[in-house]
Amino acid sequence: MSELLDVRAIKLAEKAVDRDDAIRRTGEALVEIGAVEPGYVTTMLAREQSISTYVGEGVAIPHGTLGGKDLVNRDALSVLRFPDGVDWDGETVTVCVGIAARGDGHVELLAALAEVLLDEDQARELREATEPGTVIRLLGALKEEDSNS
Amino acid sequence: MPTRTVAVGSASGLHARPAKIFVEAAAKAPVKVTIRVGEKKPVPAKSMLSVLALGAKKGTEVTLEADGDGADQALDDLAALLARDLDADGV
Repeated sequence: MSELLDVRAIKLAEKAVDRDDAIRRTGEALVEIGAVEPGYVTTMLAREQSISTYVGEGVAIPHGTLGGKDLVNRDALSVLRFPDGVDWDGETVTVCVGIAARGDGHVELLAALAEVLLDEDQARELREATEPGTVIRLLGALKEEDSNS
Repeated sequence: MPTRTVAVGSASGLHARPAKIFVEAAAKAPVKVTIRVGEKKPVPAKSMLSVLALGAKKGTEVTLEADGDGADQALDDLAALLARDLDADGV
């Protein structure tokens, strides 16, 4: 998972006025590292309108629609932390994990992220992370576990 | 205990959108439903994170289990939902 996570796409002191603003920023982080074309961000917003990507533990996982896959240059993640929280249809989101995926590789990636969030201590650590290294350790460690399973 | 084993029908697996649709349906069921892959530990079907952590792709066989009044009907409904391509419905 770690090679999917570019340190430049980890931003831990973000602010957003609302959910869509948070999605745009999360998507733009993927655009900035060249993982997706700018149009992908629009499909991320469309996906969210269709169904919320809130998964629990203060985390949402914005990603594009199936139609947006052509706008993905390579599989990648972005991790944005909003210390003030963002209202997400009544839930409060502190961390957005933006996902760019061409195939179904992101199912494993989501499974790995879900494992982190199911562990209360790790979930809190992710929500409170102020150093990119913490995020890489939390999400990168999973890759090794995955390859053993 | 009534169980159903079904292959995931959604093109991109049991991830964000299909998982959400399934989890919401499971939460509405009158009985507590669990889901597992193979012989791994069953997890609550209404927990988004637990369902995502299964990492089920298209074609992965998952087993639903429930007990009590209405269990069979609930399992039939949820198994039918899993077998469908939930990515193909709408956006």
